[in-house]
Amino acid sequence: MMRMRVWLTLLMLLAAGGCRQAAGPYPAREIKLVVQAGPGGLSDTVSRVMASLMEPSLGVPVVCENRPGGSGALAFSYVSRRPPDGYTIGHAPVEIAMVRTLGYADVGPDQMDLLCLVSKTQPVLVVHPESPWRTLRDFVEAARGKPGHYVLGNSGTGSIWHVNALLLERSADLSLVHIPFSGSGATLTSLMGRHVDAVVAGAGEASPHVASGRLRVISVFGASGSRLFPGVAASAAEGFDFGADAWSGFFAPRGIPAAAREALTAAMREAFSHKTFQRLCEERGMEPVFLESEAFHAFAQDEAGRFAMDIPRLLRMRR
Amino acid sequence: MLLGIYVGAIPAGGVPALLLNVPGTPASIAATWDGYALTRQGKAGLALGVHALFALAGQLASLVFLAVLAFPIASFSLRFGPAEYFGLALFGISLMAGVSGKHVAKGLLAGMAGLALATVGLDPITAAPRYTFGQSEFLDGIAFVPVMIGLFGLGEVLGQMTERRTAAGPPPEDLGRIWPSVAEFRAMAIPGAVGAGLGTFVGAIPAAGGDIAAVIAWEQARRLSRRAQEFGKGSLEGLAAAASACNSAIGGAMTTMLTLGIPGDAPSAVLIGALLIHGIQPGPLLFQGNRPLVYTIISLMAMAAVLIALVGLAGAKPLARALRIPDAWLWSGIILLGVVGSYALNNSLTDVWVMFVAGIVGFLCRRASIPLGPLVLGLILGPMMESNLRRALVLARGDWSAILLKPLVLFFLVATVASLAAPLFRKRA
Repeated sequence: MMRMRVWLTLLMLLAAGGCRQAAGPYPAREIKLVVQAGPGGLSDTVSRVMASLMEPSLGVPVVCENRPGGSGALAFSYVSRRPPDGYTIGHAPVEIAMVRTLGYADVGPDQMDLLCLVSKTQPVLVVHPESPWRTLRDFVEAARGKPGHYVLGNSGTGSIWHVNALLLERSADLSLVHIPFSGSGATLTSLMGRHVDAVVAGAGEASPHVASGRLRVISVFGASGSRLFPGVAASAAEGFDFGADAWSGFFAPRGIPAAAREALTAAMREAFSHKTFQRLCEERGMEPVFLESEAFHAFAQDEAGRFAMDIPRLLRMRR
Repeated sequence: MLLGIYVGAIPAGGVPALLLNVPGTPASIAATWDGYALTRQGKAGLALGVHALFALAGQLASLVFLAVLAFPIASFSLRFGPAEYFGLALFGISLMAGVSGKHVAKGLLAGMAGLALATVGLDPITAAPRYTFGQSEFLDGIAFVPVMIGLFGLGEVLGQMTERRTAAGPPPEDLGRIWPSVAEFRAMAIPGAVGAGLGTFVGAIPAAGGDIAAVIAWEQARRLSRRAQEFGKGSLEGLAAAASACNSAIGGAMTTMLTLGIPGDAPSAVLIGALLIHGIQPGPLLFQGNRPLVYTIISLMAMAAVLIALVGLAGAKPLARALRIPDAWLWSGIILLGVVGSYALNNSLTDVWVMFVAGIVGFLCRRASIPLGPLVLGLILGPMMESNLRRALVLARGDWSAILLKPLVLFFLVATVASLAAPLFRKRA
């Protein structure tokens, strides 16, 4: 009797599993969106807002799941190893192009089907309001005068903001002291308490503290300035052409069906142009940029190649 | 809504800590030391009552601090740089001896094991993986919530299962009183106040929260108490200090969040996100431009705290009835909740395995009467101490004297030495 019951249950489970596979056109059930960071941060917010805006056009729930760890390495490896059925997708930040070079996990954009890119965040150089520096030039000249003296905080060794700090050092031929904190929040706090001289962080991370007068932004790294800081020059305008933006996009395990990919990107395109997402970008200091699957792939591969060359060289330069 | 959950989660986390020795949140670890002992003495009702009352007292006290002293507290917390964090963590670690009870040597051994475990993961400065054995699951180190659930919850269950045949029987089912007597109240007033004061300040320091606050407050209350020998064996004073400290840390964390826009702990980071969605920017401008809103937030939190205390008191009887559930059911329930809780933290199966391993270790340690508090203390404070010492050394270009002579660091060092040396002198006197 007992044995029969067990067999019956197994059979029913199998049948249920079968139903799942066979049901109608994509999407037939909820979609899981894996976020590589904890709740409350920027990656989480972007993913949750996008997920809620995608639901109406897909007609199924899009559920976010946080799997933080190893700068995203855990989440990227997890999603890449899921069956490519379009029911598990992941948030794709700039770290997808970095974790392999950093040695955290053997995963990169070449093992993923990239869906689309939705935003970019520029790096900025932040100082204490009482510091004498008002431009990048001021800072560079001070740092050249005292090699190895000034301390530059970043959100973690090997993080995108650390890479930017190293790029600044190389581009301006400086010798700075780099000090990693756990995340940009802690880094900016230490700058408010004047424990470090300057910080490289994301434009949106710095802007609330700049608005409240506790910090000052003196440079936006890259070719163009930021809408958040209209009076602040881009580094290129001061003669230092460098900078690596952070970005935000979405990916699926490699080889998902074309129908699923089209449905997902169509829903993401719609969510992207929704005013809620545009407003989020404005509030959090992100530049809304939409890249379709192929353009995003080319962009991400390009970034990965550049980090694979630059990161080891930059980190070696320090030693 | 979010504020309510935030205010409610810490006291609620204390309930399983008191009844089942399973801390619901890291902050309630210190509450297990006395609270669970009380439950085993048949005073579960009293433990729940005291916990609810002093949780309320701690929260209200910290909200008063927030309303009156927000800016001085906030600017004090900014003075905490790497060197100061190192001092605080070192002081916290010096309490290992105090929380070891009778078995100081074994406690220190457990503490060292905790510190050793804390080195797993990416090196905080160079980001080189340490002791991860190539598993990316361990890059961020060993999460301490599953370790705690395993050591205390699963370890306790395994212990009870095997002891059952020899032990005198199940823990007394009597709930006992809920309200403490006037004399007990008087004895608890000072530890409660110590807890509230320390909790607010430690909570206000970003990256230091209720867990550290409660441990420090418990230990300080023990030193101040005339009945120090009861601590850890069901002392109401110890429970009061722990409860008020971990709950007043909430007000402290809110202070830093509202005045500086810096989250004092993980939940307040989520709160900042929630406020931003509503177009409210926490920071000094909030106090200048939108004072009514600040006071609305404070009074909402106070209301939530009162409501939760009422629920806690009214629910004490039904909750304590959980003890009357047959052991087999209770045990499987705890194990189930432990598995779910460990997984839910990071959606990671690795954490569940960590929980099981910790459970077996906890059980063996119990058998060998090795105290577990120091192990958790090492695991929590180890990363804070290591990363900040190394940051401080980078800042000081390797010059130790520059770190050690900072006024706040010196204060913590003196406090550490004093707390370690005090028993030597007391014995002679």
